[in-house]
Amino acid sequence: MSDGHSHTEPPSTPALRIKALESLLVEKGVVDAGAVDEIIDVFENRIGPRNGAKVVARAWTDPAYKARLLIDGSQAIAELGFTGMQGEDMVVLENTPKVHNVVVCTLCSCYPWPTLGLPPTWYKAAPYRSRVVIEPRKVLAEFGVHVPPDIEVRVWDSNAEIRYMVLPMRPAGTEGWDEDRLAGLVTRDSMIGVGQPKAAA
Amino acid sequence: MAALPKDMVRTAVAAGMSARAEVAAPAQFKTGDAVLARNINPPGHTRLPRYIRGKRGVVQCNHGGFVFADTRAHGQGDQPHYVYNVRFEARELWGADASPHDAVYIDLWEPYIERAP
Amino acid sequence: MNGIHDLGGMQGFGPIVREDDEPVFHAEWERHVFAVAMLALGGAGIQVDEMRHAIERMPAADYLTTTYYEHWLHACETLLLEKGVITAGELDRRVADLAKTEGV
Repeated sequence: MSDGHSHTEPPSTPALRIKALESLLVEKGVVDAGAVDEIIDVFENRIGPRNGAKVVARAWTDPAYKARLLIDGSQAIAELGFTGMQGEDMVVLENTPKVHNVVVCTLCSCYPWPTLGLPPTWYKAAPYRSRVVIEPRKVLAEFGVHVPPDIEVRVWDSNAEIRYMVLPMRPAGTEGWDEDRLAGLVTRDSMIGVGQPKAAA
Repeated sequence: MAALPKDMVRTAVAAGMSARAEVAAPAQFKTGDAVLARNINPPGHTRLPRYIRGKRGVVQCNHGGFVFADTRAHGQGDQPHYVYNVRFEARELWGADASPHDAVYIDLWEPYIERAP
Repeated sequence: MNGIHDLGGMQGFGPIVREDDEPVFHAEWERHVFAVAMLALGGAGIQVDEMRHAIERMPAADYLTTTYYEHWLHACETLLLEKGVITAGELDRRVADLAKTEGV
């Protein structure tokens, strides 16, 4: 990481720099050491795409919930207890036989944390961010999603503070399945729009 | 400045920090309006990507008022504006070789758009 | 800002490289960059827009050749220095001290 003045010692690694920065901030009372461990635990272990899968499974089984979800995503998602940072203002996009939705943040990495957790590296990197807005079908094909030419592909660029999540179509052959079993078919990628749910076994 | 204590972390994460904010003035645009993304090139922070500037789209909805990123990034205050979701046809953005069926949807603060001729 | 971060529609970046069963964090330092950014910026009254713009202000070549959490680390250092929460001198001294004692 360049900082404009010459060194004779080797450059410092990110690991060394964050240790240094964190230790200073804890000493100054800007950051609480216990809070560091807690927030890591929350995002590494407690928040993730299983949350979004529950939302999808509920929408698949409860038409009134699905209607509420599509009208006010934040409120309906909050009914299941998923709220907060980077998900305060949610819009849910329904995939249909005529429309396939896919989400990106071309400018950085905006992503609906309460329902999907932290984003994967590919979502935050230059190839996806640059390509999906201009050649979505090619990108989807690389992910194994083949969209027929007469289907509409909608690419949603999350450039402001609204966060988007895709409601994929319910797989065939799942009639009578309970929510838990249905949630097991919902993949993280299907809620970004670069995948489909798993098929019924 | 007080450090967030460990026992407040989960509450703070679950509460979040919505950027919604009241806008006193009436909205300039409504669903169905044809708009142009303005050709602005601010040297500071903006959330209007270059690939949208100067392009023609159709307003899909008004999300309501939000803190304006362009000003808050520079300590110039919240200055909230309405944010509209606007649809841009793929052929408008990328030319005739793009699919006639595809589109990009993007959220634009009111200062980013003007009425299309 | 017409910076390198404004990637929509650019070409030439090649295939989308994915890691199967990717972990949330790839290294302990990434965990701590995430935690410190979330806690310190909030604690110092720094807005997410300022964080984003600090990343946008990275030299373009650095932006493209460093990892996501290196971007976050850069933003933290930049903003905390600019806001006077820490000084360059004390950060450099702490880095040097830790380099000696921890061999990191």
